[in-house]
Amino acid sequence: MIRHLTRKAAGWLVMIVVATNVTYVLAAWFLDPRSNYRGLRPVRTEEQIDHALAPYNLDPRTPLADRWWHWFSNVLLHFDWGKSPVGASVDSEIGFRVVVSGQLVTAATLLSVVAGVALSVFTASRQYGWWDRTTQLVSVFLFNVPAAVAALAVVFAGIWLNQHLGWRLLYVAGEKSPDVSGVWPTVADRFRHLVLPTLSLTLLGYVGYHLTQRSLLLDNINSDFVRTARATGLTRAQAIRRHALRASLIPTATSVAFSIPAIFTGAVITETVFGWNGMGQYFVQTIAKNDVHGAVAVAAFGAGMTAIGAILADVAVVVLDPRVRVR
Amino acid sequence: MATTVTSLPEPLDPDTTAPGPAARAGGGRLYLRRFARNRPALFGVVLLVLLVLFSVCGGWLTHFSYTDVDFTALTQPPGGTHYFGTNQGGNDVYAEAVHGLQRSLVIAVSVSVLTIVLAAVIGAGAAYFGGRVERLTLTVIHFLLVVPSFLILALVSHHLAGDWRVLILVLTVFGWMSTARVIWSVSTSLRERDYVLAAEFMGVRPWRIILRHIIPNLGSLLIVNLTLGVVATVLSETALSFLGFGVQTPDVSLGTMLADGSGTITTAPWLFGYPAALVVLLTLSMTLVGDGLRDAFDPSSATGARGGRR
Amino acid sequence: MTVTSPGTHPPAGSAATAPALSVRGLSVAFPSEAGPVQAVREVSFDVLPGRTLGIVGESGSGKSATAMGVMGLLPETAQVSGSVLLGGRDLVGLGDRELSAVRGKDIGMVFQDPLSALTPIFSVGRQLSDALRVHQDLTRQAAWNRAVELLDLVGIAEPHRNARAFPHEFSGGMRQRVVIALAMANSPSVIVADEPTTALDVTVQAQILDVLRTAQTETGAGLVLITHDLGVVAGYADDVAVMYAGRIVEQAGAHELFARPTMPYTIGLLGAVPRPEARASGRLVPIGGEPPSLVGLPAGCSFAERCPAAVDRCHQQEPPLTAVPGHGRVACWRSHDIADGNPAAGSLFSPPEAAVEEHRPDRRGPGETVLRVAGLARTFPLTKGAFLKRRVGTLHAVSDVGFELRAGETLGLVGESGSGKTTTLLEIMRLRPPEHGLIEIAGTDVAAPRSTERTQQLRRTVQIVMQDPMGSLDPRLPVFRLLAEPLQAVGTDRDAVRVRVEELLSLVGLDASLADRFPAALSGGQRQRVAIARALATEPRIVVLDEPVSALDVSVQADVINLLTRLQHELGLAYLIVAHDLAVMRQVSDRIAVMYLGHIVESGATEDLFTHARHPYTEALLSAIPVPDPQVERSREHIVLKGEQPSASRLPRGCVFADRCPLYPLLDGGTQQRCRTERPLLRPAASGTDHRHACHAR
Repeated sequence: MIRHLTRKAAGWLVMIVVATNVTYVLAAWFLDPRSNYRGLRPVRTEEQIDHALAPYNLDPRTPLADRWWHWFSNVLLHFDWGKSPVGASVDSEIGFRVVVSGQLVTAATLLSVVAGVALSVFTASRQYGWWDRTTQLVSVFLFNVPAAVAALAVVFAGIWLNQHLGWRLLYVAGEKSPDVSGVWPTVADRFRHLVLPTLSLTLLGYVGYHLTQRSLLLDNINSDFVRTARATGLTRAQAIRRHALRASLIPTATSVAFSIPAIFTGAVITETVFGWNGMGQYFVQTIAKNDVHGAVAVAAFGAGMTAIGAILADVAVVVLDPRVRVR
Repeated sequence: MATTVTSLPEPLDPDTTAPGPAARAGGGRLYLRRFARNRPALFGVVLLVLLVLFSVCGGWLTHFSYTDVDFTALTQPPGGTHYFGTNQGGNDVYAEAVHGLQRSLVIAVSVSVLTIVLAAVIGAGAAYFGGRVERLTLTVIHFLLVVPSFLILALVSHHLAGDWRVLILVLTVFGWMSTARVIWSVSTSLRERDYVLAAEFMGVRPWRIILRHIIPNLGSLLIVNLTLGVVATVLSETALSFLGFGVQTPDVSLGTMLADGSGTITTAPWLFGYPAALVVLLTLSMTLVGDGLRDAFDPSSATGARGGRR
Repeated sequence: MTVTSPGTHPPAGSAATAPALSVRGLSVAFPSEAGPVQAVREVSFDVLPGRTLGIVGESGSGKSATAMGVMGLLPETAQVSGSVLLGGRDLVGLGDRELSAVRGKDIGMVFQDPLSALTPIFSVGRQLSDALRVHQDLTRQAAWNRAVELLDLVGIAEPHRNARAFPHEFSGGMRQRVVIALAMANSPSVIVADEPTTALDVTVQAQILDVLRTAQTETGAGLVLITHDLGVVAGYADDVAVMYAGRIVEQAGAHELFARPTMPYTIGLLGAVPRPEARASGRLVPIGGEPPSLVGLPAGCSFAERCPAAVDRCHQQEPPLTAVPGHGRVACWRSHDIADGNPAAGSLFSPPEAAVEEHRPDRRGPGETVLRVAGLARTFPLTKGAFLKRRVGTLHAVSDVGFELRAGETLGLVGESGSGKTTTLLEIMRLRPPEHGLIEIAGTDVAAPRSTERTQQLRRTVQIVMQDPMGSLDPRLPVFRLLAEPLQAVGTDRDAVRVRVEELLSLVGLDASLADRFPAALSGGQRQRVAIARALATEPRIVVLDEPVSALDVSVQADVINLLTRLQHELGLAYLIVAHDLAVMRQVSDRIAVMYLGHIVESGATEDLFTHARHPYTEALLSAIPVPDPQVERSREHIVLKGEQPSASRLPRGCVFADRCPLYPLLDGGTQQRCRTERPLLRPAASGTDHRHACHAR
């Protein structure tokens, strides 16, 4: 069982490495760092620009393979993710951003799974009842709302709430206030910033779990083993909770990993709307500024989050499914 | 990149359809009847038709074009000659909305058609041939699913800046995987069906078996996923354009309109409100149609196995 | 309204024992696109404690819906009326909560498919102790101990250890034992068993029926045994109710029913089922026609359309279930006439096309050899892991199998699931060089280097009919295109295809107008006819038949068997048939080969093999088939094998059957040693015949 998980984790590690390197090649190919210098006064020649990029390992005259090897060995040996086209260190940029975005993505994923699954269990045992229909209607509607619209709607709701309360309970911009000190005030401040973005991301994320889980549950409700459970004297709702739910959670657990890229995409937009200095916003900046190394670091972060999710999902499957566990 | 249907609707329930009029002619009419009984689905169809009409004929109702600039009316609220008002640059929001909807629709429909074709061929092919082909395909699919494909999408479309035809290509190339995975998993069960084995024993060639026995039996799954693919593409395109990586000025899509309007949501809400409403109406109508189709093909399914989104 | 027949085995108590379960006028309807499906109509019966009521019927007769109706487990859309009285309380109309207090406590249920009936994620002990704790106030530990006892009772070896096992670690037979343990856990007064042995092999079926009997004695419950198998009913039930189109059409004590059937349907059914204990003198007597659709049933008796004794009244008015002296209760307007022998039950259904019969004796004329298989072996790698597959073992599906098949002859491969019989067929159909051994079709070695043309020629020569016609016909293609496909694959041109398809339809007795129907619009029998026609399209010399009738109802099965016999005679085909139903095999095969764990353990001429079986496995197999005659079934001696056929992943060094062999314990040490270490080879059982068997002890 431990071996099973180790093997899986090793597989994911390979995935991250390959994904990151592929992104590097693509980014080096598609992004043009020279554009950062073209608008500058005095006007520089192309040669001067290339020369300026050389110390940052971005000189287009160096063969791509060499640049890649230089970059890759630095990442491996020193965990140095390189420099932006104007010489800023990527490491110092992503340090705090990883924490900011990490907590956002983690919180939203957890809340989405919990809310989605709970809602599905609640509604599946009341199939076609009022609650089932209403929540399904809401979920189908939310499924169709673009992330940007959802985020702005949450901003609106936040502003409305603050106005009605007469004081600023929840912040709609930024990830922290600049002038807070002390442990508890800091925690409280962070929390008041975190609520709305997490809410907007969760609104988009839970829908998938709710609708998928509901139909998986309903598939299982008609399965033979739930019928057997009912024949031993469980009510329909009990049979669903005790027998159908756990069996139907298995595919959901596997799907968590594959939904993290989507959550991350949602986070990019959410961070843009809420003005968070997170990886998502950094991602938009790096591409706009043709920052090869920054963009690759974002990709590595995304792949890493996915892998962590996948490994947790594997652990969950092992816990849930004896067919995997026993061997 | 949301794909939603994961189970294969059975054509007809053998128990309830003893030989009789209901089972004749492949059940096409039966599906239609079931669909027509579904009110939300009918509502979706009506909504969709109205939206398409709006995108095609909406331009006839105004003499402004989305590129026209009216310097006499900057940031004007809806009313008068500018039905949906104007933006800061004096563009007519109504004309922009008509054009943006058209642009978004064309992109979404082409991408989802291309995606479903690609996914069907790859998914069914991998499942049919099995072995090494299957493993390789799955590895590629898993890899592409794990790679933050949105990021690569942004990279590529940033480089190719703005042409909506390129956007179609890029969205297709990075959008087929999850559908292909679903099609693959359903096809692996079809591959084990006796009629596929029987065709092999009759000496029918592999691609002919795939095209004749496997893909047609995915039929309803493909149709439903096609409609839901439209939803996914609209949302993807919106997200990309919102961040500035999709359709670029001077061209206009619903996504760029959302991006333009989001800054002034408190001062000029109509700039954001109209495109937002159009996106939601468009995707909602498609979802309703898709759900209706699924229910029509497979009345036993409880609406909605959905995967990840965007 | 209902009688419990006087019964040959009187119930334990007095005749006045109150019924444990009493069903009155139960009707079940399901809404459907075409209108309400009348699955069950006005069904009434009583079950006395300790006694068994067998409910027999074909698919769609409403027997399972009756069971679910009794249990209150029908889908919520079902409309149920009538009453189900359990201990004086009517269960119809109770809510889920009230019903769940009854289910499992007063009434237990055994389901058809043990493979899916248990929750995969809980250990069997947990599921059993949960079932106990639902109704009894037990501590966790006490419930677990009781669960282990129950597992022991239903014959699970090492119950302490196995209680911790998960369902997927159990074989089908063991899982069904667990399901029975679940049903009897709280000592219910009624157990409902819905086709409890249908999904199991015949030697396991005998074991499970024994366990069911144990459960019944242990709890003193009344048993409702629902099955399509007349043999099981004959051996097991005290009373029998025959269902047709949702109604009980005849109800009597088991002995009366089998000895003196009165309803024409029952008479037809008993005539159509092949008997394992003797080859029918001529052909099977089919009932003809198919059961009616349950949507919008016409007035009158629902069997009238197929009934040779039907009179005008039968088409106008539905006959009630009435007592016929000496016969039980019958729903037939002519029951008194038939009871009086007018028309005589035996002559009611006439055997068709009797003229063909006279050719039968010379069918075995020595045709040329069209198929030769020698030393065939096939293994499959056992792999683990979804992503990176690792090989963890080898499954020896087929080992050293050899036989010959001549034109005009039928060879039957007999064996339980996992014996390698289907793998053998598929190896032949693949037309690729086998892993080991030789396959020669019409004198051509399939391993020989070949051209496309030769491959096509081979494909034309050998064709297949599969078990389930619903599965083997693509639901999206109409009959015409289904039949055209093999012709197109060998390059027949369009006009020739059209002509040939018409020929084929008439050859299998189908109307040409069916050509544009989709499979879903055909009945089961029609579908299998289309599958047969498709196999014959390219004028093959060999037709491989994989369980050709096992998916069909008995009354339809006889028709298809007769069709196959006729076609073989007309076209001089060689048949290679795989079937698990030995009664069918006895009817159709000239020679039989018995397979166990990938080996042929005995082969020979059918009658020779059935009357003088040499191998202990063949003996046990033959003994395990229930005979549809209570007199025979209850007096004959049964050999019930222990355990189940093991997986072929670790073959024993010696005889593959030694572990389960009933002879083995009786043998002397030297022979035992041989059985353990030396794989027995096929050798002639008697000189001058081709009867051969592989056993050291015989």
